[in-house]
Amino acid sequence: MKKTILNWRYSILLSVGFLLAASLYSLSSGSSDITLKDVIPTLLRGSGTPEFSILFDIRIPRILLGFAVGGSLSLAGVILQGMFRNPLVEPYTLGISGGAALGVALCIILGLHRIFPDLAMPLFGFIGAFAVALPISLINIRKGTVKTEGLLLTGVMISYISSSIVTLILAISRTEDLQGIIFWIMGSLEEPSWLLISIVLFISLTCLVLSYIFSLDLNALALGEEEAVHLGVNVERAKKMLFLIASVLTGVSVSIAGIIGFVGLVVPHFVRMLAGYDHRVLLVMSFLTGAGFLIFCDTLARTIISPVELPVGVITGILGGSLFVYALSRRFLK
Amino acid sequence: MKKHVITTLFIVVFAYAGIFILTNSYAGEPTAKPTPYQRIISLSPAITEALYLLGVEDRIIGVTTYCQKPPDAAKKEKIGTILEINTEKVISLKPDLVIGTGLTNSKDTKKLKNLGINVVTFDISKDFDWLCHIFIELGKLVGKEEQARTMIAESKKRIVKTQKKVEGLSRKKVFVQLGSKPLFAVTRDYFINDLIEFAGGVNIFKDAQSGLVSREEVVRRNPDIVIITTMGITGEKEQKTWQQYRTINAVKNKNIYLVDSDRMCSPTPVSFVELLEDIVKILHPEAFEG
Repeated sequence: MKKTILNWRYSILLSVGFLLAASLYSLSSGSSDITLKDVIPTLLRGSGTPEFSILFDIRIPRILLGFAVGGSLSLAGVILQGMFRNPLVEPYTLGISGGAALGVALCIILGLHRIFPDLAMPLFGFIGAFAVALPISLINIRKGTVKTEGLLLTGVMISYISSSIVTLILAISRTEDLQGIIFWIMGSLEEPSWLLISIVLFISLTCLVLSYIFSLDLNALALGEEEAVHLGVNVERAKKMLFLIASVLTGVSVSIAGIIGFVGLVVPHFVRMLAGYDHRVLLVMSFLTGAGFLIFCDTLARTIISPVELPVGVITGILGGSLFVYALSRRFLK
Repeated sequence: MKKHVITTLFIVVFAYAGIFILTNSYAGEPTAKPTPYQRIISLSPAITEALYLLGVEDRIIGVTTYCQKPPDAAKKEKIGTILEINTEKVISLKPDLVIGTGLTNSKDTKKLKNLGINVVTFDISKDFDWLCHIFIELGKLVGKEEQARTMIAESKKRIVKTQKKVEGLSRKKVFVQLGSKPLFAVTRDYFINDLIEFAGGVNIFKDAQSGLVSREEVVRRNPDIVIITTMGITGEKEQKTWQQYRTINAVKNKNIYLVDSDRMCSPTPVSFVELLEDIVKILHPEAFEG
């Protein structure tokens, strides 16, 4: 094990602190001036005022969804990077999100989102994610072994194929459907349904606990599969389960919030720089940091050029990417 | 392993129960408001313009960044773009009516409805009749139905007058271009199709399933007239591009025109008629000579 910069207790504290700071920042910024001091009195005064409904119905749901989606995406990133021992893997490079986008585009073009307005799009996104994850794993899981390189290559190819089909659908669809697909692809944490938000929260936290059970197996896998087998890890079972968890996390996040890139790639790397390579710490800390990061980016997206709202993926890409390059260059200079 | 799973389930069920109780403790109830509405937010330039026509501009408390016509509309409070509205801003303005279009993000409108704000959305105008229907509905909402009907009757009279002018003249083949990269044509799904037909022309892409067409097809169908909606600089560039295709009648006879895209894309019954008169002048200059 490499020497870590921070003791694990401090690491977790740091990420919890970051998450809280991001949430409070998000809660107190927006186009209507509600300062941090006003938040608690406003919420205590109860419903009826516009300030209350802005806090309770607009900002809090967004924070909760940002928490769930940001956490899920970076958790999926950590799991996949640990499994494949490849720093460039994330839900998006495996084509899972491409599949989800394809599912949603098909749903819109077939007009199904008009029949069941609330559930059709997330459901189809989810089905799409799985329609991609399953063949990827089936093609590559033969005779009980998972071939990592094959998995990656298939994933990248499938992701190209689905994005081409989405473009094809965009080219032949009617104007009013176009914008539905584009909205969804741009990604947003705006979600009117409390039910969906609580489902996503529930699933993401469940997956966090489930993946924690496999944290020692992930640590062993980091040494290489042969070594992991010698250490007594049931490698195939662990890999199948982990891949399933990562697919569920991605499928759910993408189907609710659309395509938000970079979170799953950047956050795990940052956390590793700080807290080292022990997955018992990495999993929890990535979840918390990813959650905080997405909440922070979403707040920027809401407020930078108010009243116009930017797609949150723009901010995650620019901010995450530049921070990442900066951190890497500092690292190499040392 | 088993113990792990059981504790996991426990934690999860408890957390979920907590979330569930939290989320169901509050629900916004829609409130019934007496019409006509006094605090209106418009989410589309066409609707803003229509409200001005109906003379209720003093009741508009918020518009999109695209609402620039009439000039006075640009001074109103901005609540976002046509596609993405800032729900926070909308709520803080305390509107009693929000009027959107099919282009408004449905997640945003759903959210406002959940909070008990009246949201009315109109689909995009596919033809002149639908345009009039929307105008009358707007009139009903603001208590100016009579006025709306009178204005539409006026417009229809002017349309009939214009159509009489072009009766019996040769029907020219028209190509209206909405976009350049990719090339985008007007199909029968756009009210512009009505514009061309009322003006005594034939839309060469009336039968197309989608507006994505190839230049080759435009050359093959050989329009007598090409109308390009200005998209900033691209309109003029397109005008030059078409010059290379000398077999097209419109190029031979120098019949390539630019029309302001704002006028083409956010119509009210009144601006429709004004636009129609301009297009008739393009199609049948002979009808106005002498």
